[in-house]
Amino acid sequence: MEKRTEILVSGFGGQGVVRVGQILSTAAVSSGLHTTMLVSHGTETRGGYVRSQVVISDEEIDSPVVENPDFLCALSKAAYNRFKHLVSKGTIIYDPAFIEPDETLDVRQVPFPARDIAVEKLGREIFANVIVVGYLAGLLSGTLTKEAVAAAVRERIPKFQSENAAAFAVGYSLAETLGGAPTVATR
Amino acid sequence: MKRVLETGNAAITEGAIAAGCRVFAGYPITPATEIAENMSRRLPQVGGYYLQAEDELAAMHIAVGSSLGGLKAMTATSGPGFILYADPYGWALGSEIPVVVVNAQRVGPVSGITGAPGQGEFYFSRYPTQGGNFETIVLAPASVQEALNLTVEAFYLAERFRMPVTLLADQLVTDGWESLSVPETPDDVAAMGLRVLPRRIHSGPEFYPASDEIDVPPVVLGHNTGAACSDWTPTEQGYDTEEVEAQHKHAYRLIYKVRNHRDLLRRYEAYYLDDNPEVVLVSYGSPARVAKSAVKRARERGLKVGGIRLIGLWPFPEELFTLPAKYLSVELNNDGQLVREVQRAVPKGSAVHFFGKCGELPTVAELQRMIDALLSGEPLPANRWEWEAW
Amino acid sequence: MDPLAEKYLRPRKIPSTACSGCGLGQIHKKIVMAIDELGLGIEDVVWGTGIGCAGRQTFGAWKGDNFAGTHGRVYAISTGLRVALPRDKKIVLTVGDGDAFGIGLLHVLHCARRNLDVTVIVCDNLGYQSTGGQYGWTTPEGYKTDSSPYGMNEPNWVQGGRDVLGILREAGATFLARHTSLEGREAVEDIKKAIQNRGFSLVHMPFPCITNFAGRALGTRKPVEVYRWFKEHTDGNVPGKPGDALFKCGVYFDASNSRVEYSELVRNNVAEVQRRYR
Repeated sequence: MEKRTEILVSGFGGQGVVRVGQILSTAAVSSGLHTTMLVSHGTETRGGYVRSQVVISDEEIDSPVVENPDFLCALSKAAYNRFKHLVSKGTIIYDPAFIEPDETLDVRQVPFPARDIAVEKLGREIFANVIVVGYLAGLLSGTLTKEAVAAAVRERIPKFQSENAAAFAVGYSLAETLGGAPTVATR
Repeated sequence: MKRVLETGNAAITEGAIAAGCRVFAGYPITPATEIAENMSRRLPQVGGYYLQAEDELAAMHIAVGSSLGGLKAMTATSGPGFILYADPYGWALGSEIPVVVVNAQRVGPVSGITGAPGQGEFYFSRYPTQGGNFETIVLAPASVQEALNLTVEAFYLAERFRMPVTLLADQLVTDGWESLSVPETPDDVAAMGLRVLPRRIHSGPEFYPASDEIDVPPVVLGHNTGAACSDWTPTEQGYDTEEVEAQHKHAYRLIYKVRNHRDLLRRYEAYYLDDNPEVVLVSYGSPARVAKSAVKRARERGLKVGGIRLIGLWPFPEELFTLPAKYLSVELNNDGQLVREVQRAVPKGSAVHFFGKCGELPTVAELQRMIDALLSGEPLPANRWEWEAW
Repeated sequence: MDPLAEKYLRPRKIPSTACSGCGLGQIHKKIVMAIDELGLGIEDVVWGTGIGCAGRQTFGAWKGDNFAGTHGRVYAISTGLRVALPRDKKIVLTVGDGDAFGIGLLHVLHCARRNLDVTVIVCDNLGYQSTGGQYGWTTPEGYKTDSSPYGMNEPNWVQGGRDVLGILREAGATFLARHTSLEGREAVEDIKKAIQNRGFSLVHMPFPCITNFAGRALGTRKPVEVYRWFKEHTDGNVPGKPGDALFKCGVYFDASNSRVEYSELVRNNVAEVQRRYR
């Protein structure tokens, strides 16, 4: 694996941005890896976006700052606009329900309609964040195992276990089918 | 021992419990509230008491009062509460009562932004109360694991030195999540290299020795030892007095019990200093981790750059600064606090510079630009605090 | 030396450094008498003090364990101490009027709310006398002090229909009384009740300050005249309407041992958590 993987998840309050980061970091801990997660909250919660900066590494982590994310997962317009320029080598995953992609960017961008998928497949928007987790787990399969992330979902979200397991499976299988392929709106 | 994903707030809680803390007194304040909440859940499970106070003045007084009654105690706050600790902090210093104080620094000026990190109480933690004539012990964790380890160590030092010890954290350390090893038994604590000293009770009628001795048990009331302790200038027996000679003895003790045992308090991480680097980054707390990444990145590029991360802030380890170099102090404030102490400590032929950021961490890229400019002798990147730059 | 003093107090503090004619020693003596009559020993009482005349004169006098807190915060210190000390230890606090009713009132109120088992004896010399004689929160209205050269012209805690003891009752104190230092047996009996209450007790004890208060406010430093002024302003000795007295003495409120004490409450809570989650 790469020594250091950086993931930035950002959206507005209530989308489960912190939970997504927590689940990935929890999976990293149970896999014997090092991890850090910084959460921006307080005024920023009210001001438009919440941000989880997750770093996973097989070595001790010095800087916990995500400066060059391997994956930017943007779940709101404010989040997308604020952090899109950080990405140079990684992939931007955005929810087209909220975001119009910036076609001038020279990075891989993947539309991932988590909210719509949640409504369509599970009947409720609240499962969107676990679908995102499943999708990211698929993309991170070189770093974290599917089982480790699935277990972390159960550990961090004790409620709705069967629904969340289904949401996770939906997200994961989408990563397998379209994650690696250039299903990119812009390039 | 268990390995979990946790915040620094939880780490401090578990560290305190492992150290034998059985009273936490606090007043809610972002970003230290979570320590209080964790304590309210965890302490009763181990037979300890969570006492919520009417304000921070009361919070620290309750903690010190509990310690005076024989229970190890802690309180936690952020800047706006830390200033209110001035009163009980002085009382604990003068009466030589062990207690642990956590300050999860947030960004100022004054009350600032509740949920953003800062490092504005570097000097305040050195002089947290009135009157001078004392030294303080201040430790600064840079990670969640270190927050646990240093909390245990803070209790250990508080007992040995008979005084308050401050854990000067920042919001990123307290609110940040990281992998954490939590000791679950005394064997775990020992295996992690952590030291715990049980509370001992001062049995003599004399209140303090007029010397720099440490390892003197603190006064504990309720054992009919005839103890007397107060915030006034005491005689060696503890009686209040207006005699200047007694003041000399008391002040000597409070200053030199710390100064003469600096070797027990020197804690730091120095890296890449062996080949006389041209540039040395100095920092503490969470920005020190970005500084370390920047130094490593510079070394990958073949640049002679080193770093010092301070863990023990006070007494300030000036003896570390023997190398003439270009020093860069990296801090979470815009006025420059640590930099002044570095300026005082560096040898002749050194230059000292400052990089401040507030509300969020600096980036490795930003520090790289500073390092490059320092090495090439070019002007440093524009002072971002000039009004026009906004 | 007085046999009671010999039994309970340290010789280095006897006699105290109080001014001639000061009523503080009378209060100190009554507290020691109450302790003695309750059959308590040196080991049974931890004695805390505030600052000012009351704190400075009584600190370190008790043969047992002593502490002097910061100004106005001795109540918060006692909250922690109470939780840490064995249940049977008594905590007696001798504090001043500024300490209890000024700078420390918030903490006093919260201790009353908690029903913390302490006995607070407020030694009230009607203002800030150890700093030279400034008005305080019990200085009678209209009287001159060094900081009220035209007469104390703001409302205090004891006149105009206000009584600080009423505030404390509402806050949850379980024993409240008032006696001047000039009273004898009644005062001792009520201090005994205060100590016997396993909860928050406060006895407000006004006493004459000859040097500063009387010298400025009453225009005399003759103890006999000052004592007469005190008696004239004490309940039962006041001509005219009842209730006009400056010093309304006796038991103000007694609900001793009627509700759970704070340290007991937190101990019970912890025991309950341990029982449930073990």
